[in-house]
Amino acid sequence: MTKNSLFNWIMLFLSSLVLLFILAPLAGMFIKTGGTELLETINDKEVQGSIWLTLWVAFAATIIFAIGSVPLAWLLARKKFPMKKIVQGIIDLPVVLPHTAAGLAVLGFISRDGFLGKVADAMGLTLINNPAGIALAMAFVSVPFLINSARDGFSAVPERLEKAALTLGASRSRVFFTVSLPIAWRSIMTGFVMMFARGMSEFGAVVIVAYHPMVAPVLIYERFSSFGLNYARPASVLFIVVALGVFILLRLIPGRKKEIQLSPDAET
Amino acid sequence: MLKLENINKKFGDFRLAGISIDIQEGEYFVLLGRSGSGKTQLLELIAGLNEPDSGLIWVDNENVTKKKIQDRNIGLVFQDYAVFPNMTVFGNIAYSLHCRKTEKKEINERVNRIAEELNIHHLLNRLTDNLAGGELQRVALARTLITYPRVLLLDEPLASIDASLKDDIKRILRRLNKKGLTIVHITHDYREAVSLATRVGVIHNGHLIQVGTPAEVFCKPVNKFVARYSGIRNFFRVKFACEEGVWKAQCDGTLAFVMKEDNYPVEGLMIIRGDAIKIHCVEPSNPPANCFKGVIREIFPSEYGMEVTVEAGEKFFIDISADNFKQLQISELSEVWITFPPEAGIALQGNF
Repeated sequence: MTKNSLFNWIMLFLSSLVLLFILAPLAGMFIKTGGTELLETINDKEVQGSIWLTLWVAFAATIIFAIGSVPLAWLLARKKFPMKKIVQGIIDLPVVLPHTAAGLAVLGFISRDGFLGKVADAMGLTLINNPAGIALAMAFVSVPFLINSARDGFSAVPERLEKAALTLGASRSRVFFTVSLPIAWRSIMTGFVMMFARGMSEFGAVVIVAYHPMVAPVLIYERFSSFGLNYARPASVLFIVVALGVFILLRLIPGRKKEIQLSPDAET
Repeated sequence: MLKLENINKKFGDFRLAGISIDIQEGEYFVLLGRSGSGKTQLLELIAGLNEPDSGLIWVDNENVTKKKIQDRNIGLVFQDYAVFPNMTVFGNIAYSLHCRKTEKKEINERVNRIAEELNIHHLLNRLTDNLAGGELQRVALARTLITYPRVLLLDEPLASIDASLKDDIKRILRRLNKKGLTIVHITHDYREAVSLATRVGVIHNGHLIQVGTPAEVFCKPVNKFVARYSGIRNFFRVKFACEEGVWKAQCDGTLAFVMKEDNYPVEGLMIIRGDAIKIHCVEPSNPPANCFKGVIREIFPSEYGMEVTVEAGEKFFIDISADNFKQLQISELSEVWITFPPEAGIALQGNF
């Protein structure tokens, strides 16, 4: 065995360990879940409602926050401004916070004493234990994924393309919508999928803001703590299958688009 | 037509300093400079992508220094074309017309017309990612020309395409210029300037060093930098002196060159173009004023034919044609005589 192949074998072995670590618990859960139990769970109205709630709230949160996140990502990629690094740090903050702490922070913001809570209250809306509150908790912990991915996408758009569009008579907004956004689209969609997936799987922040209505991670936890592992497992399997299906579907959207080859900016 | 008046602009540690150029209607102006000399920055200032710290930019007697890019009517073709990868060739060419909300029928007519003119009609429905360099260059040109720009700015238009396609693009550029389009072309290659320019400017470290016709710049470079740019490799540090009515340039070594009558400084740099020196296998019977015996040290093929290095007290780099080289039947270490007329020596002044 040559040195090179020994090296390859070691790399392969170590990689396999990590893959096994991810796959084994999931496979075990699938194997241990019986067909009858799974069928019962599929027909369980509470589980159906919970998964549906999780999907649409996570999707709505992603769509709504994308409206502000994409421009923010563009600003971060293209503009120099004071304290830019601090702004970048603030964006990454939710990723490093314990999610229960993130939930408490959101709760403080949307409770009746908080700023947003007061505004909602004035409009006759209660955000706590409400899908709107859940969406905010999901968005709080997942929006950095969208912003960072979109920012990387915009950074990869060669500035000379935008300059070329300007010299051809395009306004700044037209350049954004016809050149920057379409070219960065793939990265934006990746961020969109990541934000959606992260929001959908959020438990810690959501459970503090809204125990009811129950999103799927809360429902699974509730079944586990009340009835045990065997009762929680089929709901988990079902949620994983649905989440995986949606995840693959969303991944296919940017995949269908033809890959755009970009070369680095020309030397001046 | 296009006038730059004392343009100054700072880019970090680099600055364009006091650039003034007056380009006439229908001129083909080539700005020569090395990478990092500031030529692209200057082009972007003219196009309006940046604003100068001071100085004025005039187009047709109108001060456009503070005018929006979109309103300047100046076309810019980027070095690597900057065609939009998310659009077809048609979409790229029609882009500016969509910006101006031109009617669909007119867009079709104009795109087809310019595509025919530049021989890219067959590419109109293609995406741009599989196009060759020459095709991309034509698309970029078509996309700019469709706006009928008052001035066409070209950033190293021949730098990224195959040698075989360069002549095609040069022909297109000459044709456009003959039709009256004013062109400002930046490059690092003096041969492009020789073959295309009606006037040349040489820029170095953000300073415009010399402006003139190609003949003026390349035959009478103002300093060593410009001389090097025109491919000259024969530089001699000399002391000039007039002896019995004959001007001579005395090298640091033993050689002394006879110069044509002129007013020379006490000392300076003398240059001789490589193609102004002749090689002889035998001593010429009636030699010109400058005739030196030497030995061939190196022979290399060159674009001109062959480059021969002769050691004759000083090193001379001589360009000869391939035919001439065959006739001479010379090889390394051959003993030869080199000659050149007094007019071949050009004295440079200033700081070398």
